[in-house]
Amino acid sequence: MKLDCKHIWRELSNYLDGEISPDLRRDIEAHVTQCRHCAALLDSTHNLIVLIADERRLELPVGFSGRLRKRLEKELATSRLD
Amino acid sequence: MPDLLADRKNREFELIDRVLGGHHESFYELISPYEHRVFMTAYDILQVAADAEEVAQEAFLKAFRSLRSFRREAQFSTWLLRITANEARMRLRKRREVSLDSLSPNHEETDYTPILLADWREIPGEALLREETRRLLRESIAALPENYREIITLRDVNGLSTAETAEILGLSQGNAKVRLLRARIMLRDLFIERLRSKTKRRLSREAAP
Repeated sequence: MKLDCKHIWRELSNYLDGEISPDLRRDIEAHVTQCRHCAALLDSTHNLIVLIADERRLELPVGFSGRLRKRLEKELATSRLD
Repeated sequence: MPDLLADRKNREFELIDRVLGGHHESFYELISPYEHRVFMTAYDILQVAADAEEVAQEAFLKAFRSLRSFRREAQFSTWLLRITANEARMRLRKRREVSLDSLSPNHEETDYTPILLADWREIPGEALLREETRRLLRESIAALPENYREIITLRDVNGLSTAETAEILGLSQGNAKVRLLRARIMLRDLFIERLRSKTKRRLSREAAP
């Protein structure tokens, strides 16, 4: 099937997440070999998602676990779970 | 489900049984793999580390108190992050005294056109490495509307699946996908704007005698 650019925008997220059928994937890839705009759109959004995933490495504040334990200690020692 | 995930799930259910059976200390072991994700979820909604830490503590407390109500068809992590997101939203509401009712899924159905394709520039691969770029990204995430920031945080920062993300936000998977698409496109546009103005500033500095 021949896709137009609007169709590519709509499927952009699903394409990058691998949540589309093999047929649609093939059609999208056929389109982007012909369309530089859509190719740039897919590439840039892909790069952005990779960059965001990198943020996962942001560290916990120093002493976080200790303070959490302290906060929970009293509750865990005294409460009853009903 | 892969064995590793099933093993972890069974292990978690065992720990939950122990906590509910009175061995409250096991709660620490249950939550320790999720401290980071809980904090990040709160942080990305609130954008202030001290608030995020408090909300994270509240979320863990709440999870402990209501552990008996956890239904085991869901993943423990999904349930925990939903509590966290709710706590963070409540905090935000208190802080700003604004209603988040605009999150209604009906808003997802209207048609949307991204900015002109001719304006789009590739985000260069080498830019991924620079600290400055990371700062611009954090600024761009912070500039997103709340409902977009939430979904980007859960799906792309925390790496949850679409199904888990939808469950945490109380959306259908279809609506979650639509919102995610909008959020990613808007974030990309915000980010590109910032990259461009940064490049422009650098070029004008270099051009100066």
